[in-house]
Amino acid sequence: MRFLDYGERAFFCVQSYVGMSPVLEATLQAATQHGLQEWVSGYDRLLCICDTSKSVPLLKDYLRQHAADFTREGDAPSAVIEVPVRYQGPDLQRVARQLDLSVQELVALHVATEYRVHTMGFMPGFPYLSGLDPRLHLERMASPRHHVPAGSVAIGGAHAGIYPVASPGGWHLLGQTDFSLVDTSAANRDPCESREVFALHVGDRLRFVPIA
Amino acid sequence: MRPRIKVTAPGMGASVQDLGRTGWLRYGVPMGGAMDRTAFLQANQLLGNVPNAPCIEFLHVGACVQIEAAGWFALAGAADGDPLAAGTAQYLAKGSQLRLQPYQQGLWTYLAAPGGFEAPRWFGSAATDPRCTLGQKIVCSQTFTAILAQPACSTERVARRRMSQASSLKRDPLLMLSVMRGPQWHRFDEAVRKQFTAATWRVSSRSDRCGYRLEGPVLKGPVSMLSEPVLPGSFQIPGNGQPIVTMVDGPTVGGYPKLAILSEADRCRLAQCAPGTEVRFRWSD
Repeated sequence: MRFLDYGERAFFCVQSYVGMSPVLEATLQAATQHGLQEWVSGYDRLLCICDTSKSVPLLKDYLRQHAADFTREGDAPSAVIEVPVRYQGPDLQRVARQLDLSVQELVALHVATEYRVHTMGFMPGFPYLSGLDPRLHLERMASPRHHVPAGSVAIGGAHAGIYPVASPGGWHLLGQTDFSLVDTSAANRDPCESREVFALHVGDRLRFVPIA
Repeated sequence: MRPRIKVTAPGMGASVQDLGRTGWLRYGVPMGGAMDRTAFLQANQLLGNVPNAPCIEFLHVGACVQIEAAGWFALAGAADGDPLAAGTAQYLAKGSQLRLQPYQQGLWTYLAAPGGFEAPRWFGSAATDPRCTLGQKIVCSQTFTAILAQPACSTERVARRRMSQASSLKRDPLLMLSVMRGPQWHRFDEAVRKQFTAATWRVSSRSDRCGYRLEGPVLKGPVSMLSEPVLPGSFQIPGNGQPIVTMVDGPTVGGYPKLAILSEADRCRLAQCAPGTEVRFRWSD
């Protein structure tokens, strides 16, 4: 296990990280007793933030002792979540042209794969989905849009994603979904349960289903 | 009766803030909270509040507040209040006005009330973050009520307290902030790392609670990397070579290489730097 320090009280776990699993999640939850304040899953690394800089070496020791949990295959992930999409996004035609595909081929490639929520970030509830067909990898737009509507189903680089709320954004918009990703009114509750606020969690499997 | 205020003018931007949220970064919820933690903590300390009591954060000057129910208030940060001086607490009578005017070079000022101001909470924090649909900026005529009627400690002691602003605001001709290596430090050429600390940087006017842009020499960085988690205080180097320092409301995941990161204390000092301010950086490790 290798660590890459990031500021006074945070570090990345690199090399050994292959994604979140229920086993690792339980280990991290237990590590909150050893100074772990929070963690964020990236594609190939895990960010760990400690309560104070003093906890950093202790937590590294703890994680080294549990290194096996980083690579262990977790329980079978939850059932596949189906996200209905109207493929009428403003960038659909252009992206098809750019990738030298017909619109039908583009949509077929986008719905053919099963995605996995690898990271969440940028804004609350925005899922970075892995599993996008390499034929659909496309650099983000040179100048981002000022307004991307909530529910926009998009691709950017090697990722697929869904905009939970309206925001500026530089991804290519293929379609629109009514699937609700985030309910911030539930964030008002105390204690606040993540499943009541966020429809998707890191590790979830997902599939896009075209609708008329 | 608990102290109550009406914001008669929000100035350049006012919002309720506290120390932000923890435990939600992995869902993409930024830390958020006060831009200058040091000044925020001072405002609460003046009244004997718990450290995390919600305050009203004001951007620069021009704000005006009317006291609707009398009580103790405290002010800390960049602007001076008339009649409530920065770094002090005072009993303000019903009907009196509090205006924020220039005091130190700086941007953010905190108004505290006994026990904090009552405010809605999301993910366990009252910090406002409009980008994430967690509350809105304060509008004209909005009222706020203190949680307690009186400060939690003796008012004689509160009246005597003075806070120096030195920790977060300095009138140094040139601010020198220390930085640690960022996760992609090793992917930048040695010459670029030297260029970064040799240059004088200017805070751009295109800066906000999400990020401060810096203007200076063009830093040539690595081109491609996978998106990964980002912490406040990170120097992200986009294609145009002009650093963006992520601030507390900034995106929690980003795809630009990160050359360096500020300590939390120095991030608060940078936060107080108005557009046009010149700053320099030095490696601390």
